[in-house]
Amino acid sequence: MIALRQVSKVVDSGGHPLTILHPLTLDIAAGRSVSIIGPSGSGKSTLLGLIAGLDAPTTGQIFIDGVDITALSEDALAALRGEKIGFVFQFFHLVPSLTALENIQVPMEIAGRSDAKARAQALLDEVGLHDRGHHYPSQLSGGEQQRVAIARALANDPPLILADEPTGNLDSANGRHILDLLLEVKTRRHVTLVMVTHDPAIAAITDERIVMRDGRSVGEGGQDAPAQ
Amino acid sequence: MFVGRMIQRELRSSWRRLVFFFICIAIGVGAIVTLRSVIHSVRQAFAGEARTLIAADAVISSNREFPAELTTRITARLAEAGAQSTRSVELATMVRGEAAESRTRMVELKAVEDGFPYYGRMTLAGGQPYDFRLLANGGAIVRPELEAQLGLGVGNRIVIGGRLFEIRALLDAEPGRRLGAFSLGPRVFVSMADLEQTTLVSFGSRATHQRLVRVPDAALDALVTALRGDFTDTFARIRSYKAQEDDIGEDFERAENYLSLVGLVIVILGGIGVSSVTRVFVQQKIKAIAVLKCVGARSSQLLAIYLAQVVVLGLLGSIMGVVLAWITVHTVPGLLLGAASPGVTITYGLTPSAVSQGVGIGLAVSLLFAVVPLLDVRHVKPSRLLRDDSVREPRDWWQLAAIAAVAAALVVLTIWQAGSWRIGLVVIVGLLATAATLHVAGLVMVRAIAPLARSRRFAVRHAVLQLARPGSQARIVLLAVGLGSFFIVGVRALQENLLQQFALDVSTESPDMFLIDIQSDQVDAVRGAIRSVQDAGSPEPMLIPVLRARVTGVEGRDLQLERYEDVRERGSLAREYTVTFRPALERNEQVIQGAFWSEAGPSDAEVTDVSIEESVALRFGIAPGDLMRFDVLGRPLTARVTSVRRVNWGDSRAGGFMFVFRPGVIDRAPHGAIGFFKGPADSNARARLQATLVQLTPNVSVIDGREILQAVKGVVDNVTLAVTVVGSLVVVSGLLILIGAVSMTKFRRVYEAAIFKTLGAGRPLMTAVLTVEYGLLGLLAGSIGAGAALGLTWGISRFALDIPFRALPGLTGGAILATTVLVAVVGVASSWDVLTRKPLGTLRGE
Repeated sequence: MIALRQVSKVVDSGGHPLTILHPLTLDIAAGRSVSIIGPSGSGKSTLLGLIAGLDAPTTGQIFIDGVDITALSEDALAALRGEKIGFVFQFFHLVPSLTALENIQVPMEIAGRSDAKARAQALLDEVGLHDRGHHYPSQLSGGEQQRVAIARALANDPPLILADEPTGNLDSANGRHILDLLLEVKTRRHVTLVMVTHDPAIAAITDERIVMRDGRSVGEGGQDAPAQ
Repeated sequence: MFVGRMIQRELRSSWRRLVFFFICIAIGVGAIVTLRSVIHSVRQAFAGEARTLIAADAVISSNREFPAELTTRITARLAEAGAQSTRSVELATMVRGEAAESRTRMVELKAVEDGFPYYGRMTLAGGQPYDFRLLANGGAIVRPELEAQLGLGVGNRIVIGGRLFEIRALLDAEPGRRLGAFSLGPRVFVSMADLEQTTLVSFGSRATHQRLVRVPDAALDALVTALRGDFTDTFARIRSYKAQEDDIGEDFERAENYLSLVGLVIVILGGIGVSSVTRVFVQQKIKAIAVLKCVGARSSQLLAIYLAQVVVLGLLGSIMGVVLAWITVHTVPGLLLGAASPGVTITYGLTPSAVSQGVGIGLAVSLLFAVVPLLDVRHVKPSRLLRDDSVREPRDWWQLAAIAAVAAALVVLTIWQAGSWRIGLVVIVGLLATAATLHVAGLVMVRAIAPLARSRRFAVRHAVLQLARPGSQARIVLLAVGLGSFFIVGVRALQENLLQQFALDVSTESPDMFLIDIQSDQVDAVRGAIRSVQDAGSPEPMLIPVLRARVTGVEGRDLQLERYEDVRERGSLAREYTVTFRPALERNEQVIQGAFWSEAGPSDAEVTDVSIEESVALRFGIAPGDLMRFDVLGRPLTARVTSVRRVNWGDSRAGGFMFVFRPGVIDRAPHGAIGFFKGPADSNARARLQATLVQLTPNVSVIDGREILQAVKGVVDNVTLAVTVVGSLVVVSGLLILIGAVSMTKFRRVYEAAIFKTLGAGRPLMTAVLTVEYGLLGLLAGSIGAGAALGLTWGISRFALDIPFRALPGLTGGAILATTVLVAVVGVASSWDVLTRKPLGTLRGE
């Protein structure tokens, strides 16, 4: 599903090059759940952004379903994201001027689907917010906003869900609910889930873990590897 | 489909934030539509009134009496065409009351016959109907100003040209005379028969003889063509109401284009507002844009969404502008123009062409000014959602190309609105130069106050930090408010300088009283009368012999003009020139080509000598050695050009003539004289002198320079008022931009204020910060505007008008102070929210 070949990221920091991701090669098979774990500034979110094509790597290639996304134009990347990737953010990032239902409709409308509204309502039901569709983000609690964000991520039936600290901005009870929802969705829809977190307890529930420190992958393990 | 839906959703939420956007557009469009509509309305009213303006179907006119054979010819032609005609004469002359000690006034006299006017109405005071019998047998109808100036009313008698006339009615309006136009004095009507009994219309006196013609429309064109043929090689002209119509059309077109430029300047200032609103709007939308990109939206789709919003808002703003214009045009009927055109009724209303132009410009300016900031949408990286990297993208080629295209479009827009390439370009270059100057000055000033940021006072330190920080709207506000005060101070300073200069000119030894139409046998008497009242030490009065002459042909090396018709094709060469003769150069002249004669020539020479002024030589290609034929009051005269003179026109003490003849031949022709001299300083003595001269020589007109100065002052005042109105509009749009800038950055200010308040800053302290901040901004804007205005005034005084420059510290200081207070008050008032919002709610909401 995902293949990274010698991918690195160097940014300019006050005139000096700063390596935030050292050359990294890894593969993630379809249908797996993977967590990227590490302390703040270890390069977790950068890695996730690169996989989503939100940012371009300094070196290396990234393949999604066999397509080299580092060779794609901005617009082709946008189209790829719309079709293949659902994204869930720590700060939800709903469009404040749109209602919950409209936020879910947007990716489908961009893809040109005519059943956007009906599907958006179905997705809203699926995340348990049946009657909140006409509310604006500011009228929803954090947990509810994140449910809308998950519904939005699922809108075009993407084979890949990327989540950046999806529970990082929620209290533990709400965080638990969101995590359950994500895993449930992953199982039911047979999608690949890649999730950034700094919480070992959350990382422990996923199939695999990629441990990052100072821009390097310092270990990865299967289900049996001890959580760090 | 996605784009369409998003436009709808976005507008639903963002229109409030963009209210300022369409206010900017609405004001500019309102100005354009109002100005154009008013002009269209006035023009429409006048279009049907061309006959009224000349009071006839056609007017035959000449600067001298029609020769007998021409009169016969005209009469025959008129009879042939089945036309009627009536004669009239216009001239400037002196009037005084019957009593010996009465004051005198210069008036514009018009003598008419029964039948005048064929079109339009004479409107008399008190609704009295006009009848020729009011004029017949020594009657006069006068303007109320004369009544006031001489203290004489209906029933009193006045003396004109040595004859007594009885004032029988007061004149409100007459066909064809526009109020507000420059005139030598109030109008007086008398009858033609009575005028002929005065001494006024003698051979060579300065009068316009007219014949008003009424003719069936079918015969008009043929008559005009036939008469024009008859007038070949004579000085008579014929003009039909149709030509008048064309002229009016051109006048109005010019006025319309000038006024529209004023509107355009306001719209462009609105455009600056639009541009800053859009920039802030995009900044606020960055997260939403990143989200949309993250879920698959392309940059082009997002650009389409926001551009379409701009179109909708621009359209709404334009419509609001049209509504504003409608209200203005209907609630302020003829406030400005109502009195300017007596006898013509004007119905004010919006015209379709004005509305469509206004809306078109509103839309164009919205798009043009929004497109550059909107292109930033393309630079928004979806990765912003993961980490807040504020890496500034360098300006890309697209954006540079867009800026170039927008600039080009603005130039085209201006040229279109000005209706002329030249004027459009001048306006653009002027605006750019002013804007660039103000911009650079703004940068320098903001930098200059930067050290204040180290001040110990909290309010001063934070006010300066606010002004100097990136993304502050300070420079745009400086530009807009500075431009407004530039306009106002500039025109005021120029006006003051000009008027002071006039006042000075009159007060020095230069002549301030002028005499025209002195007959040659009156010269000595006039000189004596003047000398007897002049103050001690005044220079000798100058009485210069003058004749009126026309060029009828040129036989030159470069120029060959056989007949008068050929001369007529050379434009102003065919006009009637006032010429003189004398044996020597005046002190304000110098010969630049050829040689000036040193004595009078023989009186029997067939060809005499003439000296021409530099501009005649340059414009028409006439050079020493060329032969010129003249018509001097009906007598042919041939003269050889012997020299070209340069005249210092600024030195008016010696007068200036295009043609100076060698005495000898020409002085045998009947000639008159003009005079200029320094009148007595005491105004009673001046009035006595005028009265004496009028009694002594009733045909001589006495013009008092001091009164002319009053008339000039009136014209300058009107122009100043007009430009001040424009400048005020610019200041208002500048303040609107300020209000907009404040409300655009309010979200940030409210947040910061909340933090300050939490940290212990009270409302008085926050108010102090804001007051210092906007006060400083106003101070800078005022100083920049006033400084630029002084620079402009200095340049114009020094190089264009050649008058000494005065700095006018009172005016400048007052303007700077007023700008400072205005900007401070408006800035603090529109930040009210920042001061009153409770901090807790703000902090929780963020």
